[in-house]
Amino acid sequence: MMTLGDDAKVVENFVRVAQIIANLESILTQAKNLSLTAKNARVVALRAGDAALGFKPITNFIDEFSEQTIASTTKIAELSNQLFRVAHKLVRSSQYFHQMTELKALVKSNQVEAMYQHALKSQRRAASQLSLALSELENHFEDIQKQMQSAEYIAVTSRVEATNAGDFSDSLQSVSDFIASAAKTIKTAVVYNLSEIHTLRGVLK
Amino acid sequence: MKLAELFKGKTHSWMMLECNGSTQNTQGSINQYFIHTEYESMLMDPGGIELFSPMLAAVLQHTELDKLTTLFASHQDPDLIATLSLWDKAISNATLYAPSLWERFIGHFDLDNLHFEGISDEGGEIQLGGIRLRLLPAHYLHSAGNFQLFDPTAKILMSANVGSAINAPNDNKFVEDFSQHVKHIEQFHKRWMPSNQAKANWIARVRELDIQVLAPNHGKLYKGEKVQEFLEWFDKLDVGSAAK
Repeated sequence: MMTLGDDAKVVENFVRVAQIIANLESILTQAKNLSLTAKNARVVALRAGDAALGFKPITNFIDEFSEQTIASTTKIAELSNQLFRVAHKLVRSSQYFHQMTELKALVKSNQVEAMYQHALKSQRRAASQLSLALSELENHFEDIQKQMQSAEYIAVTSRVEATNAGDFSDSLQSVSDFIASAAKTIKTAVVYNLSEIHTLRGVLK
Repeated sequence: MKLAELFKGKTHSWMMLECNGSTQNTQGSINQYFIHTEYESMLMDPGGIELFSPMLAAVLQHTELDKLTTLFASHQDPDLIATLSLWDKAISNATLYAPSLWERFIGHFDLDNLHFEGISDEGGEIQLGGIRLRLLPAHYLHSAGNFQLFDPTAKILMSANVGSAINAPNDNKFVEDFSQHVKHIEQFHKRWMPSNQAKANWIARVRELDIQVLAPNHGKLYKGEKVQEFLEWFDKLDVGSAAK
């Protein structure tokens, strides 16, 4: 259990939450770029006509998962505010519990015992709330991770389709490259965040 | 640590936190004053984190926690109010009286339970378990929004930082030889009190009060004639030294 007995750990965990939130911005930026790329690719595919017939459903697909990623990231941004609030609550509860532990050593009485038990329950409740918030966050990141796996698959498929697009081959090839690059950036950020969440949950056990 | 009695009357008593007979329990910690009536109690300048559990333990020896209904913060310094968020968890139904000027600062403590009652610049009054306590403006002594608490029955003025001695010996509760005490208070008052005008205004008002004990945030208390000796000395002191 995280307590103020280990101040360095508390600060470290706040930094972890902040880092997770900072990474959201890069995920959101890449997801928005993906959505824009899908729209541009659709225009290129239309101009290419029959030569890029196979590319049109791919652009729809890119559009779909980039929108999903934007939605997930927006939801995570909302959650992250809650995460900070809950993390702060846990720090305060832990600080109060630490003080009640000292009080219990000084005074033996039913009232002090009741205050100690109340502080213990509050701390456990706050830890449980943080754990739940982290679980929810983890689920959203896992969703994004799946979406990026699809993106990587589509990048490969689109490369094949791009080679059949004649004069438009280079333009569509660059679309495929961008999808692959954006998916990789997002996946890296997600993997990092999932690892941080895993560490945070470990501290709360 | 225990609460030692400063005054005992028919309606209420004044106490302060002591450690083995010494007023200063931890180096740099503030003097903690507590007023106890039959129905309600009050803690003045609740203190820094290091004092929370000792003070709470001492308070519980005299009253049930739900009778601790009132907190008073003379100003915003952290050695005075760093424990607000802990008291907020310990007492669910209390009122915090503090200068209105600091309301937006107090907001940063994110208090859930304590009810904030801002004291306007003119001062006011606290009614505690049937007794009336005066909130005396002492702005710029040293804080821009600063109050002291005067109890006309006990004749005690809780003077916040006025009269404070930092790092002075704590062998006695009260100042015995004022001329010897001056060396412990001179630099503090010259440097921390910014305004001669505010000082003169305060001294004029305080001289009209019948004060038996002047009880500062730090160091020894002034009793009887030592109160007048302090006021005379303070009246002549040129303050605001860093701006000269």
